[in-house]
Amino acid sequence: MVDYVSNSRAAARARRREAAEVASFVRRLDWILLGSVAALVGYGLWAIAGITHHDVPGNQGYYLTRQSVYVVIGVLGLLIATLIDPDLYRTRWRVIFGGTSFLIAIVLLAGPIRGSKRWLDLGFFRFQPSEFGKVLFVLALAGFLAERSRRLHEVRTTLTAIGLASIPIFLVFLQPDFGSALVYCAAVGAVLFVAGTPWTHIAALAAGAVALTVLVLGALPAAGVPILKDYQQKRLTSFLNPDQDPGGTTYNITQSKNAIGAGQLRGRGVDNATQTTLNFLPEHHTDFVFASLAEERGFVGASLLLMLYLLVVWRGLRIVTLARDPFSAIVAGGLVFALLFQIFVNVGMTMGIAPITGIPLPFVSVGGSSMIANLIAIGILLSIHVRARARR
Amino acid sequence: MNRLVNRRIRLFLAALGLAFVGLLLRATWLQAVRAESLSSLGQTQQRQSVTIPAGRGTLFDRSGLELALGEQATTVYANPMQITNPRRAALAVERTLGLNADRIFPTLVDRTHGFVYVARQADPAQAAALQRLKLPGFGFYPEERRNYPQRSVASQVLGFVGTDGNGLSGLELQFDHSLAGRAGKETIVKDPSGRVIDVQGERPEVPGRDVYLTLDHSIQANAEQVLRETVHKWAAKSASAIVLDPRTGAILAMAVQPGFDANRFPSAPSDLQRNRTVTDTYEPGSTFKLITVAGALSERIVTPTTRFTLPYSLQVADRVIHDAEKRGIVHYSVAQILAHSSNIGAITLAQMLGRTRLSAWITKFGFGRTTGVDFPGESPGIVLPPDKWSGSTIGNVPIGQGIAVTPVQMAAAYAAIANRGVWSRPHLVDHVAGGARPSLNRRRLVSPKIAKQLMSMLKDVVAEGTGQYAAMPGYQVAGKTGTAQKPDSRGGYATGRYVASFVGIVPASRPRFVILVAVDEPRGAIWGGTVAAPAFQQIARFDLQYLEVPPDAASGH
Repeated sequence: MVDYVSNSRAAARARRREAAEVASFVRRLDWILLGSVAALVGYGLWAIAGITHHDVPGNQGYYLTRQSVYVVIGVLGLLIATLIDPDLYRTRWRVIFGGTSFLIAIVLLAGPIRGSKRWLDLGFFRFQPSEFGKVLFVLALAGFLAERSRRLHEVRTTLTAIGLASIPIFLVFLQPDFGSALVYCAAVGAVLFVAGTPWTHIAALAAGAVALTVLVLGALPAAGVPILKDYQQKRLTSFLNPDQDPGGTTYNITQSKNAIGAGQLRGRGVDNATQTTLNFLPEHHTDFVFASLAEERGFVGASLLLMLYLLVVWRGLRIVTLARDPFSAIVAGGLVFALLFQIFVNVGMTMGIAPITGIPLPFVSVGGSSMIANLIAIGILLSIHVRARARR
Repeated sequence: MNRLVNRRIRLFLAALGLAFVGLLLRATWLQAVRAESLSSLGQTQQRQSVTIPAGRGTLFDRSGLELALGEQATTVYANPMQITNPRRAALAVERTLGLNADRIFPTLVDRTHGFVYVARQADPAQAAALQRLKLPGFGFYPEERRNYPQRSVASQVLGFVGTDGNGLSGLELQFDHSLAGRAGKETIVKDPSGRVIDVQGERPEVPGRDVYLTLDHSIQANAEQVLRETVHKWAAKSASAIVLDPRTGAILAMAVQPGFDANRFPSAPSDLQRNRTVTDTYEPGSTFKLITVAGALSERIVTPTTRFTLPYSLQVADRVIHDAEKRGIVHYSVAQILAHSSNIGAITLAQMLGRTRLSAWITKFGFGRTTGVDFPGESPGIVLPPDKWSGSTIGNVPIGQGIAVTPVQMAAAYAAIANRGVWSRPHLVDHVAGGARPSLNRRRLVSPKIAKQLMSMLKDVVAEGTGQYAAMPGYQVAGKTGTAQKPDSRGGYATGRYVASFVGIVPASRPRFVILVAVDEPRGAIWGGTVAAPAFQQIARFDLQYLEVPPDAASGH
């Protein structure tokens, strides 16, 4: 009986401690980040509802339903990622790295879908490893750099990191998914930058990147060694010269700018947005979703979206500064910069100030892998925040 | 580590801020500054204004037969830039449309153009056969083609329509406004592949109105047939005829030979395309003496029975004028002057009238000004005002020389006498569908009594004078012959070139037809009574029978 009493007391104490821990955990979540991501996802769903309203005849909510299911799965992923201690990733970065490379590699072996090998068809869902790879890749690279945090000044460390990174980048590039490859490169840069790689190394890398760009876009094709596919090359260079062929190469960008311009301040609404509803603007629910949003909701709607992104990215950068260890900081930096890079390249592409690459707009473009992967990334950021050193 | 991270994060923040400012600025540029031009660019690729051609009205003759009507045709065009195999395409065009492949091939292979016509207004069935081959680069659209089912009948009167549906000559030009209707306009909304997904009507097309003519295709065709034979028989340059109803001025036939097939107007010489009865003038000769006599009677200078002693020749100023046939001194009544077409007699009457009153009568009968016939390009003729007359003019004009008139003026003048002295505007169009009958502009030229006297004299011309070949059994015929030397370009008269004419009225007791026949440069004979009167007689006999006009004479004449 006594035992029982003491047991029950201990149990009650344990329950109370547990409750206190849960309460503390919940309190230490970055509620502003969570709130702004929730607003972003909700706003994205509302935008998709309007943009795809006329896309599937007889089923106005076709894309909205699918996107909502992805959001539900993504929120589950976010919760799980929040609960997982980042140390788990740090200690198992080799496994993560191997798994990521393997997943991307088996996509190459599977059959092509729509001319490129980006997806794994799981029947109910087309799984796109390169989207998840953006997150896993950052984790793996951060794990490597955290392990070598005392030898960062060595050229060897930087070169090894680049060598490691180039494996998945090359695999993604082969799919071909040039956009994701670019995001990976940006993430490598961010990870090295936050880890504290010396400026001299970063400057050398930047010079190398510029030289590579010149080689791939200019020198090698001129010498008869094409690296990029013809359409990729044209897309990359045509934004510098947008009016050269509005019916062909620059058709997308011309239609995209027309759509954005037509939106003006308040937008044309769902039914009058003819660029979107009449399908003049291709890929208006995926890559060019920003142009459609700008057409239907105008400058007001587009700036609201940009403000929400700004909020998310600012909170993310704040988490970098609060991270309890270098690994967490590097992870946060890589994830946030990858996110920022995707936003800038996608939005810039629709407005004709960035080259056209198939990068989805985070949290808005219809697509399961992208939505789920981005929500998991937010979960990781939240997890880092919960386990932060101290509050400022 | 931490401090380093913080420093680097600040750089990050700066990059972030710059990126967002850049995006916002770009959005502002596109959505505020360039908004108008970008949205209009978007509009023009989706919307297109198209005109819907209005069907052209039909031309009907007085019996309701179609003389000119629109029929469906298909225009075939091509975009050489899209044609994959020009050789095959040219052969397909030859096989289906019947065009020469060697001639069409160069246009199909010339890739500098994005649009070329392959065949305008082609046969719809042939075009459909080409369309079924589904060759890339070919386009088709329906277009109306003007068809003249009566072919050459009345071709100069009807005129023709250009490829784009505009009336270019004749009645097609005169009534183009009514016939053409008004093209409609609508805006079509297209999707990116060019399919029409919505049509927004802005203005419906108004179809052209039908025009009902006074022409009768049988009378017209017969008149043309008679003229054709006359031209052939006398190896003449050309011949014209007008059949009109003196009671209203309605023109039943307006014929010019040789003619042309209206369906092939571009290949016809422009000389043949003129409606000479309205646009061309001639010196009328003796048919004009009617006006001199009418003036003299109306001014009460003479009566039909007043007698004159007439020498064979007469000196007028610097000229000596004589009658057509050599004779001695005669004693003619006014009626006989007309019956025998005496130049000396007509000039004697004119000298009694004087130049001022004679000029007034010429003007009153409508010479020197247009009749107002509803046909484009009417000539007013050439009539000298009295103050420009020379001394010898009084010896020319009364007998129809030194004056130029149109056949339609002359026919209208005789019609006035036939209609008890009342002139009516000659006209080709009875009414336009939905419109009222146009005014006849009636006016009295001479009193009914004088008109009756003139009719009686004109009957004598046919009964015993120069127009005996115009007579026909069962009907009384009135009329006047005319034989005029043609002026040459130097102001004199060309030897051997004459216009032989006859203007007749039938039945003389209750006139139904005034028929003018003018034959240009006949050979073998020159006299109106010999060349033109028989043609008049043939035309009149057909018309009387065709319209079942009861005879007004027991037999003979």
